Amino acid sequence: MPNIPRYSSTPGLFTRSLAVTAAVLSFSTTAFAHFQVLYTPEMALTKGKATQFTMVFTHPVHGGPHMDMGQPEQFYVVSQRGGDAKPKRTDLMKYVKPIDWLSNKKEKGGTAQSPKKAFDASLPRSVTRSLGDHIFVLQPAPYYESGEDKYIQQFTRTIVNVGGVPGNWAEPMGLPAEILPLNKPYANWVGGVFRGRVLADGKPVPNAEMEIEFINHKPDQDGHRFSEAGEVELPQDAYGTQTIYADAQGEFTIGLPRAGWWGICALAIGADTEHEGKELSQDAVLWVQAKDMK
Amino acid sequence: MKAGFFSVLALVLATLYAPLPAYAHSPICNCYNDEEDESKVVCEGGFSDGGSAQGVPISVLNDRDRVLITGAMDEESLFTFTKPDDDFHIVYDAGPSHQVIIYMDDIE
Repeated sequence: MPNIPRYSSTPGLFTRSLAVTAAVLSFSTTAFAHFQVLYTPEMALTKGKATQFTMVFTHPVHGGPHMDMGQPEQFYVVSQRGGDAKPKRTDLMKYVKPIDWLSNKKEKGGTAQSPKKAFDASLPRSVTRSLGDHIFVLQPAPYYESGEDKYIQQFTRTIVNVGGVPGNWAEPMGLPAEILPLNKPYANWVGGVFRGRVLADGKPVPNAEMEIEFINHKPDQDGHRFSEAGEVELPQDAYGTQTIYADAQGEFTIGLPRAGWWGICALAIGADTEHEGKELSQDAVLWVQAKDMK
Repeated sequence: MKAGFFSVLALVLATLYAPLPAYAHSPICNCYNDEEDESKVVCEGGFSDGGSAQGVPISVLNDRDRVLITGAMDEESLFTFTKPDDDFHIVYDAGPSHQVIIYMDDIE
């Protein structure tokens, strides 16, 4: 743990987290990062088309184990065509349907975990028909993590672009927890870097603790599961969840060494730190897609 | 001879340092069938830098290149027209070498 100031406004959070972490470590040798996945196969569409989004709360680099999601509190898109145009918000909750997300047998020493509650949103073409940026925002219900005796709520954004006309991808939305991209999240070459700024209620969060994971097991949106085999073999657990810290301005840079989906999560940055009498971690998640130059 | 060379050089430099044209970025246009009125086509214009397409000329031509409809993108960078009876294509004209052509069969 680097010797840097903590960003949390809650005194003692670090100490409590350390105690919980120590307790967890005493029972397990592997610490997984929770990630709210908001997946659709292509972030950069050449023209508007119907899209399908999958919402799973999981550990993407390992393809599980998954966690039961509660009914999402909000799912909407903010669309903007061109830098000077007005953003348009469209509520998408009517498309959100519960599904059972299956687990693979490789988890937990060969015994498959029971299916976990996840959600699907199959959206008509009208949602992403126009040129420009379409920022999809998922506000899930807080999830109770019994292993840490706390709730986790990850405000998650996936940005889809149609046709190459930019819009509002670099505009903050003022969410309780948010990662503001400083590169287009939908237009990244493998080997490039991705930059961003961590925000809480629109203000930069200095030194935020962050986790980065690759979707190592390809999602099967209709089969409701991840692929059994991962693309990449991890040499050691620390490679699965890359941990970084934002700088004093809340900014960060990561490399993108492989084509696919990369999740970026800033931990416990939201102002609300309590839910139903227990600790609440309001996190921000942003998904980035990288493609090979070929 | 020498004076001629410097004249050409001056002209080249002047050209290089001249203000860039208004449409310095890639033009982008997308047309689709209007879901609320099937007799119409909606075209959206834009540029790769996010600039407005307001005022960009747009034309609808038949397959003999006769102009059937002409107009310009509105303040929302949109242009809507009634489908002609002839086969047609659309030219979004953001200046020399900055034209986008969309054929009828590509409109969904």
